[in-house]
Amino acid sequence: MYLKELTELSGVSGYEKRVREFIKDKIKDRVSHIEEDVLGNLIARKEGKTDKRIMLCAHMDEVGFIVSNIEDDGKLCIMPLGGIDPKVVVGKRVTVGEKEIPGVIGYKAIHLQRGDVYTPPKMEEIRVDIGVTKKSDAEGKVRIGDFVAFSVESMVHGDWFSGKALDNRGGCSVLIDIINDDIELYYDTYFVFSVQEELGLRGAGISAEKINPDFSIVIDTTTSGDNPEFPSSRRSTELGKGPAITFAHSGYVIDERLFKWIINTAKGHNIPYQIKRRTAGGTDARRIATTLAGIPSAVISIPARYIHSPMSVLNLEDYNNTLRLISILLTKEVQL
Amino acid sequence: MKELIKKLTETNSPSGRESNIREVILKELDGYIDGYEVDRLGNLVVWKRGKTDKKILLDAHMDEIGVVASYIDDKGFIRIEPVGGVSPYNLMGGRILFLDVGIKGVIGVEGETNSDLQKNLKELNFDKVFVDIGARTKEEAERLVPVGTFGVYSAEFVDLGKRLVSKAMDDRIGCAVLIEAIKRSDPYHTLYGTFSVQEEMGLVGASVVAFNINPEMAIALDVTAWSDTPKGYKRMSIELGKGPCIKIKDSASISDRRVVDKLRNIAEANNIPYQIEILIFGGTNAAALQRTSAGIVSGTLSIPCRYVHSPCEMIDIDDAENAVKLLNALVEDSSI
Repeated sequence: MYLKELTELSGVSGYEKRVREFIKDKIKDRVSHIEEDVLGNLIARKEGKTDKRIMLCAHMDEVGFIVSNIEDDGKLCIMPLGGIDPKVVVGKRVTVGEKEIPGVIGYKAIHLQRGDVYTPPKMEEIRVDIGVTKKSDAEGKVRIGDFVAFSVESMVHGDWFSGKALDNRGGCSVLIDIINDDIELYYDTYFVFSVQEELGLRGAGISAEKINPDFSIVIDTTTSGDNPEFPSSRRSTELGKGPAITFAHSGYVIDERLFKWIINTAKGHNIPYQIKRRTAGGTDARRIATTLAGIPSAVISIPARYIHSPMSVLNLEDYNNTLRLISILLTKEVQL
Repeated sequence: MKELIKKLTETNSPSGRESNIREVILKELDGYIDGYEVDRLGNLVVWKRGKTDKKILLDAHMDEIGVVASYIDDKGFIRIEPVGGVSPYNLMGGRILFLDVGIKGVIGVEGETNSDLQKNLKELNFDKVFVDIGARTKEEAERLVPVGTFGVYSAEFVDLGKRLVSKAMDDRIGCAVLIEAIKRSDPYHTLYGTFSVQEEMGLVGASVVAFNINPEMAIALDVTAWSDTPKGYKRMSIELGKGPCIKIKDSASISDRRVVDKLRNIAEANNIPYQIEILIFGGTNAAALQRTSAGIVSGTLSIPCRYVHSPCEMIDIDDAENAVKLLNALVEDSSI
């Protein structure tokens, strides 16, 4: 399990290099083939018992920002990469660019506010403070176009793991574990670590086109919603109840046969699972399914709280059960 | 043709659950086609050989909008999520039919006070509605309608003479027109009919259905909006009974001029009434067909339909008959 290492790396959409290099280093000796495609997706292959192909896909990118301008006082204007709620970013520590310059997303102190305490700042009003006072000083450290990533140390507390970017380093870690576990794969198995999912499923399609698998399973980390303010009918998933299996999400109804096969496998092996209750939001499954002549796809997710913010939480039992379920699925032939 | 329309619209098959309608269509075409294939996403592809190997593709999507059970509470009330563009207002006073077991349920709205209820009705969304299948316990509801069960509007077919009403005119009327066109025509070029899946989820089936066909021309057959009701859309000109509509554009695609000109010329030459359509919103499978592989010359022929996406979609049988005549003339023509 590499949750700690993976969640402490910066890899916002379009800037996945550090994550890719880390994963490559962990798996390169355990796979029969590894390559990086032109968009930056990392594709690893392990042979199975048949020539039929299955593709597993986890996106490497996390939501973050890009530096869009440097102001006269040296503060950085930023634009979001992926869906970020401005309420959750003020007062947070960030890392800017390849040189990993530390910064802070500040906001005016409560003393300077009147009625605006309860109105969150707009993205246009947010600046990154990197501790300089002049534009020229800032320009010595960062450039327009540098990424801005949340900078958070992870922690383990009992069954819980907290850190940033669990969406989707959780999925990446599961795939690395599967590769290193050396299970008896049924299919010729392709592990794809995709780029730019958070910007609109941009990376996975070209990998699917290259591999042309018979089936695909997307491994993602999905929103939970087990906050006390939500009645249980409105929760998407709940932590501690096992991997979440999706019947439909934005832009795609999951292949019915794969959906049932996954549920039957979980039941047959007494692995706890839950059916994801919400259909909002999408995954790479939509892109993969509509590639070439069509690739039946499914989605299995680790539930996590507070995703797309600087701190998210998952349950380690859920992680282990997700890993178990996918490991078992990969030893079997898809039952249609 | 009315009988066919009745049969097709009374078959319940929302997006992602098209096996029922696929069987009905295949049975209907028995003896009229030279072959068929069900592709990996579930699209039904049929063909009827002509005098040349050049191909013309006509597409109608076979899915309809629907709902899916997402949560069952302690008392056995079922929460639902939309499958495709379902307005919660269209659920009011109606019934839902859950597939497989054929269980019907009625719709309720949350409200702890009268003003609460009025407010919820005013700002209705899927969080505020639930389905009551008359279950006395949670266990009973879970047995009859397990989470992940798909449903459709429960609304009967109504024959009003020239005008016909159904929950699924979108796009079973397109399927009916395509079936009749295949049955009645003696195509000059090879005719491909595609009955595609998951259009309502975002053109899923049509994104891949033509990938291995490579036709000279593709035409999507779908419903369009209307402007001939009290205070109907005044920026458009589409009336029921004035003929099928040759689409110029909608929000998703601009019809290829060659398709538009060809349809118009054939309609004029054969004295078939037609309308010219500019739809100020919406889209059809033409958008996906057009962008398949290296591109396909594509357009849309529409059937005017009132109250689209409601349980009571209304069409005029003459428009459907004239669409079949127009398509017959098109596929029997030697020029492309």
